[in-house]
Amino acid sequence: HRASYGQQQGIGSCWYVYQEKQKKIQMQRPEQLRKMAVRQGYFSLLDHTGQQRTKRDFLGCWVLLYFGFTHCPDICPDEVDKMTSLVCILDDDPSLPSVQPVFITVDPERDDVSAMAKYVKDFHPRLIGLTGTAEEVKQAGRDYTVYASAGPKDEDGDYIVDHTIIIYLVNPDGLFLDYYNRMKSDVQIAENIRNHMINYVKLFPD
Amino acid sequence: MSAPNARERKACWDARDELWKCLDVHKDQTSACEKLQREFEDKCPAQWVKYFFKRRDFLKYKEKIQNEGYEPTEGASKL
Repeated sequence: HRASYGQQQGIGSCWYVYQEKQKKIQMQRPEQLRKMAVRQGYFSLLDHTGQQRTKRDFLGCWVLLYFGFTHCPDICPDEVDKMTSLVCILDDDPSLPSVQPVFITVDPERDDVSAMAKYVKDFHPRLIGLTGTAEEVKQAGRDYTVYASAGPKDEDGDYIVDHTIIIYLVNPDGLFLDYYNRMKSDVQIAENIRNHMINYVKLFPD
Repeated sequence: MSAPNARERKACWDARDELWKCLDVHKDQTSACEKLQREFEDKCPAQWVKYFFKRRDFLKYKEKIQNEGYEPTEGASKL
């Protein structure tokens, strides 16, 4: 039979509380994202000119990160070439903000500032190379769950570093938005980034 | 020892590709491709030579599995 007046009141107030809770969750979401953007992916490294760079220095820019090493036989040059190509595709579109490509070493033992400088000049003119101590490099990769493991040294002291092969997209708020593996082409990645840019909503008011 | 630059990388990859072509034609008979093998070893760091050979072996093995199927060894335990 029909709910009593008291029961209807009860149901009504439950619904009201539920709605208020949903509103609060929605309002907290940007706040949670802001906290995540600040905390996540922190790094403090040296660029290929010897200048210190932290995550803060890149805020306000769209950033592409790739973790690799200069002694890499083919995969890293291929991926950094791809990154160069897709940045050029986006550069050709004047309606889009520019993207900052970044190469971070997973082989800090060999990839010092001068090794990085020598490496980055073969790629996009805006490519920045980052290096540091073993601990600094490890920390930079932490929030992106970058895996890196140096193989055995041969008689020349040479070795291969096995590592995750991913390009990461970070937005101007410093939030990690997307990632691209080897299967994705330069064209596909550029298109994906274009969509992210179009849908971008600033987390931190000016 | 500094890492090869773009020009040196390309020279290494080209030497590798020439050797692979020769080995494919001569069904992996290394004696038929000695000159190209030496060029490959000249133009690439030793570590890369090892890496590229391993990769070639792996890709050939993968192709074989995909085309011919896989036979578990005798007495292999069931997982």
